[in-house]
Amino acid sequence: MQVMVEYIQSDSLFHKLNPITKLLWTFAVLILSFIFNDPIAIFVILFSNLLIASVSGIIKQILPVIKALFIFSFILILCQIFFVNEGKTLFYAIPYFNLGKVTDIGLDMSLVMSFRMVATVSTIPILMMTTPMTDMVVVLVEKLKIPFKYAFMFITALRFIPTFMGEMEQILQAQMSRGYHSDTKNPFKKLIIIIPLAIPLLVSSIKKIEKMAISMEVRGFASGPRSNYRKVSMNTYDYYAISVFIIIIIGSLLFL
Amino acid sequence: MIEINNLSYQYNNGSKVLKNININIKSGEFVAIIGQNGSGKTTLMKHLNGLLKATDGKITVCGMDASKTKTSILASKIGFLFQNPDHQIFCSNVFDEIAFGLKNLEVPRSDIESLVNEAAIKVGIEMYMHTDPFSLSKGQRQRVALASVLAMGTEVLVLDEPTTGQDYSEGLEIMEIVKELNLQGITIIMVTHDMELVALYAKRVIIIKDGTVLEDGPTEEILAKEESLALSCLKPPQIYSLAKKFHKQGFFKDSYTVEDMFDEIICYLEGERDASNG
Repeated sequence: MQVMVEYIQSDSLFHKLNPITKLLWTFAVLILSFIFNDPIAIFVILFSNLLIASVSGIIKQILPVIKALFIFSFILILCQIFFVNEGKTLFYAIPYFNLGKVTDIGLDMSLVMSFRMVATVSTIPILMMTTPMTDMVVVLVEKLKIPFKYAFMFITALRFIPTFMGEMEQILQAQMSRGYHSDTKNPFKKLIIIIPLAIPLLVSSIKKIEKMAISMEVRGFASGPRSNYRKVSMNTYDYYAISVFIIIIIGSLLFL
Repeated sequence: MIEINNLSYQYNNGSKVLKNININIKSGEFVAIIGQNGSGKTTLMKHLNGLLKATDGKITVCGMDASKTKTSILASKIGFLFQNPDHQIFCSNVFDEIAFGLKNLEVPRSDIESLVNEAAIKVGIEMYMHTDPFSLSKGQRQRVALASVLAMGTEVLVLDEPTTGQDYSEGLEIMEIVKELNLQGITIIMVTHDMELVALYAKRVIIIKDGTVLEDGPTEEILAKEESLALSCLKPPQIYSLAKKFHKQGFFKDSYTVEDMFDEIICYLEGERDASNG
């Protein structure tokens, strides 16, 4: 399984933008999604995200994420739609008994909510897939003044996801070789059968992290002020992009 | 016991790991599988208990079609000892750890205790029954893992580099246990890089190279095929090469364990001494 936050190498313009610009882009999307209250407008924002993903060459990896988000958004719609009583009644979910009234306002509101959720959340995997983590850290530490330890914790946590998934696979195989089977429908049993997988994973993770801490310390981690090898600078494209965000935001505020 | 016919396997991304493998292993054999890292040894082994399902071909293990049978069912016939025992240890004492497999196989409670004790005695950890397995040494944890497999009454035991991460004597101890199990009739298949272990214990050697069987035959024959071994970046054990060189000069027989060699030399020297005395 592809981990959805891994960096994907490409030469696209979006890849070359400064991480700050891309962070600003996520904020711009967030602001725009809340400026508009029209499902079509928010869908256009979502579509622009997909457009960015496709010019960055990550559309194949981003589509499964969007699909998963839409499943959530569908649940969101189901939670929302039946509780709005205002507006014209469009149809009933169970027509014969007139149960589950769906009104036009209700439909509108729940669509806005779900599109808004997908549009804003989907920027994060796009950001992750187009930005090398090391660049992100340089920016977080140098420009945004986040303490390096916290930035390091953040990227290490991300970096370990695929490692742990590989480890989990091996543990599962080792337990299956001892007759372990995970196919039970009983939810209480499901909780119990996770133990043979969770404990070895926990133990080996702690061991791994201990080793990593030692190997970092012997290489002088946290010994004093640090320098960054990578330099991340703003170039003309970044300024263009940021101006575009600002123009769009101001434009849409004026338009409303 | 184990029949592998035209087995091929490819990962989802299309890369072929195993190509047309044909191996036939009889009950009671002691087989070593050697080859470079990434040659497909472990992948091949994972087909035996159904962890991986063949893309092509057929594998029969103890009369069951391994690609159609669930791993949890195959587990009662074919036991796996993985490189890292920590991937399976999760109980707070050794007894529960060994009993885990039996509980999975739904063995009646009354039988579990005797089976667990029996397995523990076989691997020599009966005194640690109530110890926390995480406080044991790596070699001992490996033996706990071995006992947990044995308790299930396996007929075939697959060892994936059973001695890595242990000191020499711990490694030999586990191999002696394995040898004993083989004498009791358990079929052993061992994946390893350690040519000395191969020479000492295995009766038959299979070299896997790029997902195909490069060589398959009795240990002595394979150890003599230095070109095939070199293709897999392997060398026969030093003692074996030394014995061979002596043999070429007309000394000793073609023996290959340190003990054999030692006996031969003593025998020869005693002969010399007697000759000079007499």
